Parts: sequence; C-alpha cells; structure tokens
Amino acid sequence: MGKLLTVKALKAYYKLRLGEKLRAVDGVSLTLQEGEVLGIAGESGCGKSTLASCLSGLFFPPLKYQKGNITLDGIDIIRTDKQTLRKSILGKKISFIPQSAMNALNPTLKIEDFVADVMQEHEPDLSREEAIKRAEERLEVLSLPKDVLKAYPFELSGGMKQRTIVVLSTLMNPEIVIADEPTSALDVSSQRQVIELMKRLLQMKITKSMIFITHELPILRHVADRIAIMYAGVFLEVGTMPQIIFDPRHPYTKVLMSSIIVPEKGMRERKLPLITGRPPDLRKRIKGCRFAKRCPYATDECRMREPDMEETDGRKIKCFHPLKGKEIKQNEVI
Amino acid sequence: MNRYLKYLTGKLKWYILTFFIAVFLNFFLPRFIPGNPVSALVAQMAGGGASSDVLDKLYNSYIQEFGLDKPWYTQFINYVLKVFHGDLGISFSLYPTKVNTILSHALPWTIALQAPAILIGWIIGNLLGALAAYKKGKFDSAFFPLALFINSIPYYCLAIILLYLFGVLLDVFPIGGGYSMQLIPSFSITFLIDALKHYLLPFFSLILVTIGGQAIGMREMSIYELNTDYVRYAKLLGISEKKITRYVFKNAMLPQITGLAISLGTMVGGALITEIVFSYPGIGTWLFNGIRQQDYPLIQGGTLVITMAVLLANFLIDIVYGIVDPRIRMAQMEE
Repeated sequence: MGKLLTVKALKAYYKLRLGEKLRAVDGVSLTLQEGEVLGIAGESGCGKSTLASCLSGLFFPPLKYQKGNITLDGIDIIRTDKQTLRKSILGKKISFIPQSAMNALNPTLKIEDFVADVMQEHEPDLSREEAIKRAEERLEVLSLPKDVLKAYPFELSGGMKQRTIVVLSTLMNPEIVIADEPTSALDVSSQRQVIELMKRLLQMKITKSMIFITHELPILRHVADRIAIMYAGVFLEVGTMPQIIFDPRHPYTKVLMSSIIVPEKGMRERKLPLITGRPPDLRKRIKGCRFAKRCPYATDECRMREPDMEETDGRKIKCFHPLKGKEIKQNEVI
Repeated sequence: MNRYLKYLTGKLKWYILTFFIAVFLNFFLPRFIPGNPVSALVAQMAGGGASSDVLDKLYNSYIQEFGLDKPWYTQFINYVLKVFHGDLGISFSLYPTKVNTILSHALPWTIALQAPAILIGWIIGNLLGALAAYKKGKFDSAFFPLALFINSIPYYCLAIILLYLFGVLLDVFPIGGGYSMQLIPSFSITFLIDALKHYLLPFFSLILVTIGGQAIGMREMSIYELNTDYVRYAKLLGISEKKITRYVFKNAMLPQITGLAISLGTMVGGALITEIVFSYPGIGTWLFNGIRQQDYPLIQGGTLVITMAVLLANFLIDIVYGIVDPRIRMAQMEE
C-alpha cells in the first residue's frame, strides 16, 4: 500500500468583495493510502467542501489558492497546467461526486450523451456506441437498470440520480473518488443504496481509494477506515474509525460525537449536550486554538497559542489538553 | 408521440376560440370610434361644391353600398360569412378597392422590412450576449451598458433620431416611403437600388433595438447557466470548455427561442410606428390610415391579419419548444 494522495499545509481562501479573505482551508495536511477510505467530518461551514473542491486543482472563483502542495501519484496537481489536468487527471485519476446531485446534470442532455462526452474526452478514439456500451456493462455489473442511459436527468428520482452520478463519476476507473456529502440531500433508504453502491465500487476495485465528506458522523462508521475532524479550516483530530467514533480525544470530537441522535434504548430521555456558541469568523485571524472559545477545558495557554498537530498511537491531535479515554462525565453539558 | 399530438390538438381548440373572440372584437371595436365614416368620405369627395341634395344622395348610396343601413347583427353575420370566404370587404376610404388587394400589396413590404431585421438581429444579439457572458471583463463592461442604452430607447424614438440624422441633417437617405414616387415597382436594378436606399434606415432602427434586447436577455441567461452545478460537475470530470460552452449555449438559448417566435408573430403589427415614421408602405401605415378615416373594413382586415399571425406564431412556439426542450415536452404530455 503506497501513498496515493498527499496534501501538505494547504491553504485556500475565498476572495470576498472589499478584498476580504475568507480562509476556508487554513493549513490542512493529509495522506490517503491506496485502498483506503478517509472520512472528513465537521459542522457546515468548516471548510470541508472547499477542501474537496481544492483537490481538483481547479479553484473555481472566488476560491483562490494560497499555499501548500497537493501530490497525486507523484503529480503536482497545483502546478500542472489546466489542459493536462483536464485531459489526463480529472475524471480519470481523481474523480468527484458533487454535493448537489439534483442539479449536477445538464437538464437537456440525455445521460447517454453525457456518458459519451465524458468518455470521449479521456479516450478520443472511443466511438459513441462503444462508450455507451461500456456504461451499460458497468450499470449491469453494479445491478442498476440500464435504461437510465436513455433518460433525461429530470426523469430520474433523487436517489436514482445520485446513484447515476456515482456511476458517471467512476466510469473511467479513477484511483481516487472525492465524495462531497453524496447522501446529504437524500432520504434514509436512498442514502443506504448510495452507500452500498460506493462500497461495491471499492470492493470491485473500480476505484481504489475514497475521500468521503459528510456532516453525518454515523455514515462514516460504515464506510471510513480513518476519519479526520475538521473545524474552522483545519483538522483537529485524525485517527482510525474506531479511535474517533468510540474513543474521541479532542474535546470537539467528543461533543460532535455526543450531539448525534442515536435511536438507542434510554437515549430518548437523555438530553443531548449542546455545543454552545458559534464557529469563529474565518475572515479574521484567529489567535490560539480555534475551538478555545467554545471549549470547556480551555486554559489561557489555549487562548494564546495555537497547538501543533501531534501524533500518538497513530492518532493525530491538535490540542494542549486532550481527554484521557473515557474521562468525560456523562450528561455533562458543555 | 401520440400523446404529443393529442396535446397539440387540445391546444388547437384554444387557438380557435381565441380566433373567434378576435374576429368579434375586430368587428365591434372600430365601430366604437366616434364619428361617421361615410359623411367624412362624402365631404371629402364633394369637396364642398355640391348641393345638399346631391350630398344626401351620395351619402345614402354609400350607406347602402357598405351595408351600414342594416342592423348591426346582420352586418356582423355578413362580415363573419365573408371572412370565412376569405373576403375582407371593400375599403371605404379607397372605394372601390378591395381590402384584400390593399393588404396583399402591403404585407410583402412589412415582412421584407421586419423578418430580416428580427432574424439577423436575433442571431447577432444572441451571439454578442453569449460572448459578453463568456468573455466577461472589458468586453462585457463596454458592451453591456451600450446594449442596455440601445434597448432602453423606444424603437420609434430611435427611428426618429436616425431619420433626422441621416435623412435630414446628412441627407444620405430618403426620408420616407418604400421607393421613389416616380418609379413603378418592378424587379429592375434601378428600382431595387432605390428600394434598398429607402429600406436601410427603417431596417437599422429595428435591428439595433432587436440586437440590444436579445443581447441583454442572452447575457443574463448565459451568466446564470455558466454558474450552475452541472457546469461545475462537467469541469470536475474533465470535460472541455468547448463542450461546456455548447451545453450552456443551448440551455440559455431556450427562452430566447420563445422571444424570437413572439417577435416574428407580432411582426406584422409590431413595428407599426416605425412604418408610420418612415411612411413605409406596409400593414402598419395602412392600418394607421384606416383608423384615421374610420375605414372599418380596412381596420378589420389589418387587425385580422395581425391576429392570425400572432396565433400562428404562438402555435409554432408550442410545437417547436416541445421538440427542443425535453422538460417542456414532458410537461406538455402530462397536461
């Protein structure tokens, strides 16, 4: 297992009117191994979707690249020219499943025409018929109906549209798939189908690795090997799935975990702990730890200096006072 | 496709109903204009020299000839029956010329003036609008205010401004008419060149406004489409700018097709004032003359031709739009 994707100290911001900068990604480093699924979780507005979008190397305005490196399979994504990026990397080596499946397809183009457009872009010698045939085979392998190809996007249900997009995004057998909240707009049963489909793609080695971005931690429990918790443009804790879900050490991870409604016995009577306050304003420079203002354990040190990311037992954590195992008291409202 | 045909026949019923209401209004509205068309006509003919006895006789014979002595419902039934035989009656003001003759001579002038102005203006306008949205930057910031300015001027004002500038001040173009009075319409080179000279000013006054309006609409639509999620997704999958531009252009174009069809449909009566400003021998000028002289048959005939053109164009939009946009087709068939 080698490293497929390495991101080093990536910084990107949105250029706002009046020249203000909103630092949505403010120094993120990550590695993705071959065959691995990395989950990225966090509240809305924490920069997780922006991070996903940065990984394409395209930086759609008003998003701007500031600093850092993205290396995919030895290729420097940021310094590759746009034509090469488009022809031989996007959709082929790294692919995306967008957040808003509802509008992600051209409403006046049949799915099969889009299939032909995508595939011919990467394999110019491929005929339209051949491209459609390959898509049919792919749908068959994944036991999805072939007739979606003949349909227009508005003729498909929400869940079907999202599954179609998953297939479209992986037609070229990309090494990495970046899924940006692929299930957020769907009902529970459709969510499940989409997750199952993505798992099958991994099992069949159609795609090797995946970055799965979501604000719903419970989903990650079923798909992710490792999880990164993102807050205010940075990762606060990165660890294996069991480490993050069952034994969170960063106070923020802990609260995020305990704010999930789990339909278990005895849960209904329990009051959910609330995270008070709001995430910091990303237009301003933040002094000290980004979570300090909302953290019940914050000390003066936390408010003065930003902690470094430190690694212990394969877990990285950005905190001066990490929790020790099951130390936190139940029912404690923080 | 069968359901689609069913949908179209369903639509057709409404068009027929609209047509009947229009025929009804065409008949009654001109008759609400105060004044008596025949007395004006008689006065004009007699020139003031004839005795009142002669005038009375003349008056009565005209009233009888035009059928104005009969009760209004008889007149209406006669009118409707004639319309369905394709007879629009005899003009009052140009007695005994048939309205059919007047309109069939006027119609080619109107169409020749407007159809090219609308079509070419529409194509240029849409191309420029899409280009402005796509290029952004300097081109857009120079082009957009200009288009907005041209579009904001009422078309007849632009007509008058052009007329004054090029017809009066610079004296490079004739100030009115479809051709010089001393020439007889024919397909000779002299006549065609003369007609072209008369053609250019009204043509430019129309095409400029069309370009301005279409460009603004297309620019807005293209900007909207360029920022949609499907464009971003297509980029993320590595699809080329060229293909994406094609998607965007087609989708932005759809509402513009309606615009084109409406302009073509209202064409016949659309530039009434342009024709009047340039005394262009089209439907507009004749309709204007008809209204001034209370020439009921001429007004009825003119408005009827306009009505039919608008209805036909709308029906064509229904057909074409359903073919071009799959979403509309779907909705149409579900109705």
